[in-house]
Amino acid sequence: MDAGLFRGRKNNMDEEQAESAFGFHGTWREFAPIAFTNLLLIIVTLGIYRFWAKARERRYLWSRTRFIDERLEWTGTGLELFLGGIVVLLAFVIPYIVMTQVSQAMIMRGQTAIGVALFVVPLLALFYLMGVARFRAIRYRLGRTNWRGIRGGSNDNGFRYGWSYMWKTTLGYLAFGLGVPWAMVSLWNERWRSMSFGPMDFTCSADFSPLMKRYLLFYFSPFLAILVAAAAMFAIALGFAVDFDGAGGFDPEEPPIGFVAAVVVALFLFYFVLGFIWLVYFAKFYRVVVGHMALGDLEFEFDARTKDWIKLGLGDVALVILTLGIGFVFLGYRHWKFFVTHMQAYGEVNVDDLTQSTTKRARHGEGLLDAFDMGAI
Amino acid sequence: MFERSEIPAFWYDGYSARRHEGLVEWSGGDTLLLRAHDGELMEVAIDDLIFVERGVMDGSYSRKADDGFRLSFTGTVPEDLAQRLPSGQKFGKWIDRLGLPKAAALFAGISAVLIAIVMTAPTWLGPRVPASWERKMGDAMIGDLGNRLCHTPQADAALAKLVDELDPERPVTRVGIANVDMINAVALPGGQVLIFDGLLQEAESADELAGVVAHEIGHVRERHVMQALLRQFGLSVLLGGINSDLGSSIFGIASMSYSREAEREADAFSRKQLAAADISPAGTAEFFEYLKDESGDSPEWVGWVASHPMPAEREEAFRNAVVKGKRYKPALTDAEFTALQEACEKDPDTEEFSFF
Repeated sequence: MDAGLFRGRKNNMDEEQAESAFGFHGTWREFAPIAFTNLLLIIVTLGIYRFWAKARERRYLWSRTRFIDERLEWTGTGLELFLGGIVVLLAFVIPYIVMTQVSQAMIMRGQTAIGVALFVVPLLALFYLMGVARFRAIRYRLGRTNWRGIRGGSNDNGFRYGWSYMWKTTLGYLAFGLGVPWAMVSLWNERWRSMSFGPMDFTCSADFSPLMKRYLLFYFSPFLAILVAAAAMFAIALGFAVDFDGAGGFDPEEPPIGFVAAVVVALFLFYFVLGFIWLVYFAKFYRVVVGHMALGDLEFEFDARTKDWIKLGLGDVALVILTLGIGFVFLGYRHWKFFVTHMQAYGEVNVDDLTQSTTKRARHGEGLLDAFDMGAI
Repeated sequence: MFERSEIPAFWYDGYSARRHEGLVEWSGGDTLLLRAHDGELMEVAIDDLIFVERGVMDGSYSRKADDGFRLSFTGTVPEDLAQRLPSGQKFGKWIDRLGLPKAAALFAGISAVLIAIVMTAPTWLGPRVPASWERKMGDAMIGDLGNRLCHTPQADAALAKLVDELDPERPVTRVGIANVDMINAVALPGGQVLIFDGLLQEAESADELAGVVAHEIGHVRERHVMQALLRQFGLSVLLGGINSDLGSSIFGIASMSYSREAEREADAFSRKQLAAADISPAGTAEFFEYLKDESGDSPEWVGWVASHPMPAEREEAFRNAVVKGKRYKPALTDAEFTALQEACEKDPDTEEFSFF
C-alpha cells in the first residue's frame, strides 16, 4: 500500500476479493487471560478495578483492530475512567440519592407536592444526562482512539445535545410511539455531525423513512401476538369447559399447572420474539445510519443483516448459558468483533492531510455512561 | 568514547498521519534523534518516552507530552539502550510491582476485612449512637407519617396504656397504628413502631398483640434498627463499586430485615417485658401458632436457614415462658382492645398507607 493514499471502490467486481478496510485479528485464546485476570481483580477489589479492566480490555481489542494498513490504539487509562466514576458519584449519584430520600420524607410528612417535585426533578435530570452521557461517551472514545498517531474528538461538550435528546425522544413517543425511528435517526445524525477525526468532521445525513416498514412490523406485532394469545386462551378455556363439564370447569382461583406453564411459556415467547422483531428493525437502522456516514472522502457501510444480529444474540445467550454465566466476560470481545468485521469503508484517505485533532479532551472518562450502563455506538 | 548506534524504526510524529521510516540515532546521551529517509528530523528525550503495548509486534513507545507519537523499532535495540527505555504496565502500576497473585491476595484480604468491619461494627456501634440522634434521623427520614396513622381518643388512650405497661421507661419508642391491611408490625428508624391494622383485625386478644408490640419495641430498645441502618449504609458504600446503582439498595431501608439473632433478642425482650407487666405470654404463643398454620409446616431446616426463627420454635419459647399457676392480668380490657381494632375505621381523616 502506498504510504500516502488509500483507495477503495464500492461497486467494482474486480475488487470484490479486496480486503475490507476494517479487520479484526484477535483470538479468544489471547483474550481469555485478560478477561479472567480482570474478573479476578474486579472481585477482589469489590469492583473498583473495573475501570482499569475496561481500559485493558479496550487496549487489547483496539490493538487487534486494523483500519486499512495500521492498527488502532487505545490511549485511555483506567485512572481517567475511575476519575469519571468519582465525578459522577459526587455530582450526580449522591445528590440523586439525597433528593429521593428527602422526597420520600416529604411525602411521608404529607408534603406531597414538594415530595413529588423532588422526585420528578432528579428523574428529568437523569433523562437529560442520559443524552449528554451518550454524546460524551462517543467523544471520549474518539479522543482516545489513535490511528497512525491521529485521534478524533468533538469541540462540543454535549450539553446542547442533551436537550435535543430530551425533546426529540419525547416527541417520538408522543405520536403514539410512531415517531421513534425519526427520533433515533435524527439524534444519530446530530451526534455524529459534531464529531471529528483529525481535521475532518463526520457527516451523517440518514433519513428515517426506509425504516418505517420494519418499525411498523415491530409496532403492530404485540397487538397481533395478543390477538393470537387471546384466541389460544379462549380455545383452551373452551376445551376445559367441554372436558370437565359438570365438574365446575375452569376455576380461575386454582388454575391447572399446565395452564400456568402455558401462560409462562407464552409470556417468555412474547418477549423473546418481540426482542427478535426489534432486531429486525435495529439491523436495518444500523445499516441505514452507518451507510450515510462519511469522513472526508471516506464513506462507511455496515453490512450485518438481520440474521447476523440474530446469530450474535443467540450466540451470546448460548455462551452465557453453556458456561453457567462465566462466559459474560467474552461478550465485550464478541460485540467488538461483530462491529469491526461488519464495518466497511470506501474512498480515499490522504495521510498528509490527516493532521492531529485540535479538539479538547476531558481528563476524565465516560463516567456518566458507565453509571447508566449504556453503550456508546 | 561512546559508539553511536543506529537502529531501523518507523514512527508517527503525532502531527500528521504520515508514517516515517528511518533510523533512530543514539550516542549514549539523554535524547534520541529520529532521522527519516525523507529527510525529516525529530529529537525525543528518553525520559519523555513511555512504553505502550501495540499488540502486533512487541511494543512501541509513546511520549508523555504527546500520546499521538508512536515509535516502533524494526531492528535490534542495543542492550545499553534497551536498559534505559521504559517498560510498560500490564495490570496497573501497583499490581505490576507486587505481581498478580500477591496483589490479588492482598486486595482480597483488604476486601474481606472491610466487609467484616461493615458486618460487625454496627453491632457495637449501633448501641453507641445516642438515642436522640436516632430519633432525629428517623424524623428526617420518615417524619411523623402525617395522616396515615389511625387515631381516635379511645384508641390512643388504650395504646398509651399498653405501651406504658410494656415499656415503662420508653425513651424513644413511639407506637402507632398504620392503615395497612397486612398482618405485620414493624420497627422503623427513630423508634417508630407501627402496628398494621391487618394485625389488629386478626389478633384474638390484647395479649396476642402485646407480645408482638413488645417484640418490635425490643428491636428499638436493643438498637437493632440503628444497627441495620448502619450495616445497610456500609454495604451500599462498599459494594457501590460493583453495582453503581446505589439508589436501589438505599430504598431497601423500608424493608429492613434483622438477623436471626436479633429476632431472638427481640423475642427475649418481649418475654421479659410481658413478665414484668404480668401479661401472659400464652397469647403470643397462640399468635405464632396461627402464623405456623398460615404458612404451613415447612421442614425444620428452613427455619435454620431463613432469617426469622420458625414460628414453631418461637411459639414454644413463649409457651415455655408461661408460669404455671400464676394469675396474669389481661393486657387491655375488652373495651380498650375493641377501640384499637376500630381505630382505623372510626378515624375520620385517615389516609391509605400506600408506601409499603
